[in-house]
Amino acid sequence: MKKFLSILLMLTLVLSVFSFASAETVEEVIAQAETMTNEELYKKAIEEANGKSMLGIGNSSRGKTAKETFIELLKGIDPSFDTTIEWTQPKNNSIFEALTGSNEYFVTLIQDGNQIQSKMLDTGELLNFVPLDWKNAEGVARENNENPLALQTLNKVFEFNNQGDKTYMNCWDFVAPDVHPLFMGVNSEPVGKNFLYMLTRDDYATVVKEAYDKLDADKQAIFAPTIEEMAAEAADLGLEGENAKYALAWIKLWCEQYQEETDDGPICNTLVDKSAAGQAGLLVYSKLRSVEESESVSVNNVTVAAYQDGYEGFGGYAYKHYMMIPKASQYPWTACAFIAYLTTTQEGFAAWGKDMGGYAPVPACMQDHSKDGGDEFPAKNDRGYDWWLNTGKLVVEDPAYCASVADTLGDFIDMIVGSKK
Amino acid sequence: MTAVVKPISPWKRRLNKITTYLSKPQNAILLALGIILTVTTIWPAFTIVRDTVTIHSGTVDTRGAAPGQVYTSFNWTDLFAPASNTARKLAQINLWTPLLNSVLLSVFACLGSILYGGFFAYLVTRTNLKFKKYLSSIFIFPYIMPQWTLAVIWRNLFNSNLITKGADGLFASVLGVRMPLWWCTGMFPSAVVLSLHYAPFAYILIGGIFRNMDANLEEAATILNTPRWKTFLRVTLPLVKPAILSTILLVFSSSMGSYPIPHYLKLSTLSTKYVELNVQRTGEASVLAVIMMLFGIIILMVNQRTTSGRKNFTTVTGKSGQSSVVNLGAGKYILSFVYILTTLFTGILPIILFAVETFLPNPGDYSFLTAGISGHMTTKWWMTAENVSENGMYGQKGMLFNETIWSAFGGTLLVAVLCALVAGTIGTLVGYCVSKNRRSKWAAYVNNMAFLPYLMPALAVGVAFAKFGSSIGIYNTFLLLILAGTVKYIPFASRSALNSMMQISGEIEEAAIIQDVPWWKRMTRIIIPIQKSSIISGYLLPFMTCLRELTLFMLLCSQTKIITTLLDYFDEMGLYAFSSGINLILILVILLFNALVNKLTGASIDSGIGGGDSK
Repeated sequence: MKKFLSILLMLTLVLSVFSFASAETVEEVIAQAETMTNEELYKKAIEEANGKSMLGIGNSSRGKTAKETFIELLKGIDPSFDTTIEWTQPKNNSIFEALTGSNEYFVTLIQDGNQIQSKMLDTGELLNFVPLDWKNAEGVARENNENPLALQTLNKVFEFNNQGDKTYMNCWDFVAPDVHPLFMGVNSEPVGKNFLYMLTRDDYATVVKEAYDKLDADKQAIFAPTIEEMAAEAADLGLEGENAKYALAWIKLWCEQYQEETDDGPICNTLVDKSAAGQAGLLVYSKLRSVEESESVSVNNVTVAAYQDGYEGFGGYAYKHYMMIPKASQYPWTACAFIAYLTTTQEGFAAWGKDMGGYAPVPACMQDHSKDGGDEFPAKNDRGYDWWLNTGKLVVEDPAYCASVADTLGDFIDMIVGSKK
Repeated sequence: MTAVVKPISPWKRRLNKITTYLSKPQNAILLALGIILTVTTIWPAFTIVRDTVTIHSGTVDTRGAAPGQVYTSFNWTDLFAPASNTARKLAQINLWTPLLNSVLLSVFACLGSILYGGFFAYLVTRTNLKFKKYLSSIFIFPYIMPQWTLAVIWRNLFNSNLITKGADGLFASVLGVRMPLWWCTGMFPSAVVLSLHYAPFAYILIGGIFRNMDANLEEAATILNTPRWKTFLRVTLPLVKPAILSTILLVFSSSMGSYPIPHYLKLSTLSTKYVELNVQRTGEASVLAVIMMLFGIIILMVNQRTTSGRKNFTTVTGKSGQSSVVNLGAGKYILSFVYILTTLFTGILPIILFAVETFLPNPGDYSFLTAGISGHMTTKWWMTAENVSENGMYGQKGMLFNETIWSAFGGTLLVAVLCALVAGTIGTLVGYCVSKNRRSKWAAYVNNMAFLPYLMPALAVGVAFAKFGSSIGIYNTFLLLILAGTVKYIPFASRSALNSMMQISGEIEEAAIIQDVPWWKRMTRIIIPIQKSSIISGYLLPFMTCLRELTLFMLLCSQTKIITTLLDYFDEMGLYAFSSGINLILILVILLFNALVNKLTGASIDSGIGGGDSK
């Protein structure tokens, strides 16, 4: 009996060693996959995933729609292909906890550059994969979208209810006394905090300063004391840019004054109602698409601040959805194929592409939304990524920068928000 | 010749003792349950305590940590012994203010629920109040509904562009009334809403005692010409003291762990702060969860000191010889009217608003009030069969065709049924075994261990199971939800079962033992049939509570897994038509099950909480 057990143990050990030796690591799979075309990846995915059940996790519920068309695509290549992918969307920041040390999920669609950088990339929990077809795509915007790989850039823009006399022609108008813009807050959705982190980067701080310079003297006088107060704070926080104090002043006033809402949906519901005269907010642009016209509600009750002639300063903020592979993914080939499908084809991106305000780095994935509202609802005519970037002066999330300032700026912001009455 | 008795070795004597002890089913079960409950309660708690000293990448506790360092005391020192002015201010914001708010909120919720629910209990059981049957049914509605729904209703009623910013609520838009800020957000509305939610608790617990209280003492006081108020203060109130204490303990711990109400009404508490801190201060968030757990332990100790195990949470202290009814005179109509009016706001109005909301063109868009129904109401939230983003549907199908909603509903039913079965069975066994070992310290330990999770704030238990689930790879599984729900709700069944088992004379079972009737037969043929109403309540309560539980489950699974997380998702997204529709469905299901079980067995929600004796 002892002999038998010893032999069994030895056999198990030997088999384990061999199986480990022959298995490819996720990193190795990614390295190979980055040299393959989409079609080759799809075949690899069919080999790997046929008959299996997989679990994807993401911050966007639309991953569910996308995985269905992905399965259809693979079935089109191999009619015998049969797999199930469950898509899960965790709450309250728990996606990072779920992904840490887990081998449950084969792929993730994740947001919040700061946490991705510091909790996932720096620790090697998530791995980056850039499809060959993405690199070779015509007109692909590689800069700031490649590592981590961005599925899309989404804009949150300043809007205001135009039913009163109040107008907002400068980004400083949103932090003027007695203005309480609606905002999702800095902690319930951490990309809101990333927006404020990004403002302190030199180029965006300069945008804030230039907008301040365009204000008339009376308005400048209102903000000047806060700006001066922030000069010392900027030095304490290690922000060396000469315009950092302008950014910090704007952040301070914004944090003191914003009115927190649970989501952009309720913000939109509020702004489009005629009773919210003069109310402003920072919200995902595409929410306007879901408004039904009625006696008291209309898209035309809202003005997109940056669309006004003569508007000064940044018109909003852009964050990103990233596609990544967990280091312990059990189906890395399928993950690569799924990512390639979503980021390089119009069908794959369709779940998000149908909305305005979401921009894929590969132009071929995009749908045209420049005439969504026509003459009837001009606020819904999306002027496109380039316009928003250059004219609308969107502040765009950069994971590395966010992670580099989060430790100090995070406390600064939390103190202001926590001291609010 | 005398026989030589061979001495038994101490080891064998001990073994014999153990064998004899375990030969009794109640002892063997008690031992097994003690081990199971210890593991399922202590292990998750240990996981969360460990998390407070673990370094989390990308968070503040990496400050000053050496490469490769795994543990740190930073999270504790940063909160309790901050090193700088900034840290001190942050500790105030992140710990002391939320802690104070949590304690105050719990105290106010206790006071509110006892005054509102306790007084109602007195009126229903001891006076000739009119419309008792109607009022009694409608009064428990806020407890049936998910707790944050009243908070959402509060916002929709009282918010105004002038005060809270944003769009006008119903009061402002229809009546032009704008309530002050303290009325709309913060401590006051949170305390009121929590009080309304837990008032049925007080009603059921205190009402149980009132209902069965012997009136002889009060009558004696009346004969001695004692004024009615004095009789109430000196005779009646002391008699209901145990029930009031029970209400305080239960409401305090439940309020302490409430997340959605302070979240929606913008009050910073330990629960809301936990969720906020989890991004950058994960370890400190765990410290907050540990503090919440400590409150649970303190409450358990207070409970132990103030009442004996026998009296705990029983609504029946003995069979009443007679009961008297106080004549309210004209007050019976006035008070009835007052309660009809208040329950209209807490029970009927939410349901009407939920129903109306599902026919509005946009969330909160009451255009039909001024412009007429035609063209300003819609059935799209129910009937849309396609996946569309236009017209406010956000890519969702109408509720009747929405697979996500029905799959989440199925998930909830699965969790509720299994939690009820497991918690009900374990709780019943705990009750039985503890009642058979009344003087045993181990039995007292098992009883406390079974009851402890109930006194732990739900969020703390949720956090503990989230960490525990992640560490063993069962995060976002039904198994984890069922495990957490079972542990949290065993007390419903164990308390109910214990109180009812205490009422069964030991002679009944002893007679069966003499007849050599096996244990399982004694249970199924004698014990369970005698107390079936209480035992079924022990199954029913976990089931009902699971159906509308959010705080416990929200950190354990994805948003679409069960109906309450999905409901919360829709509420947060501002898709009030969906959340309202789901609320309606939930309320109907709970009422339906309650009525069904009541019809079949005589048990119901209000017969189980704290006692087990049906009305």
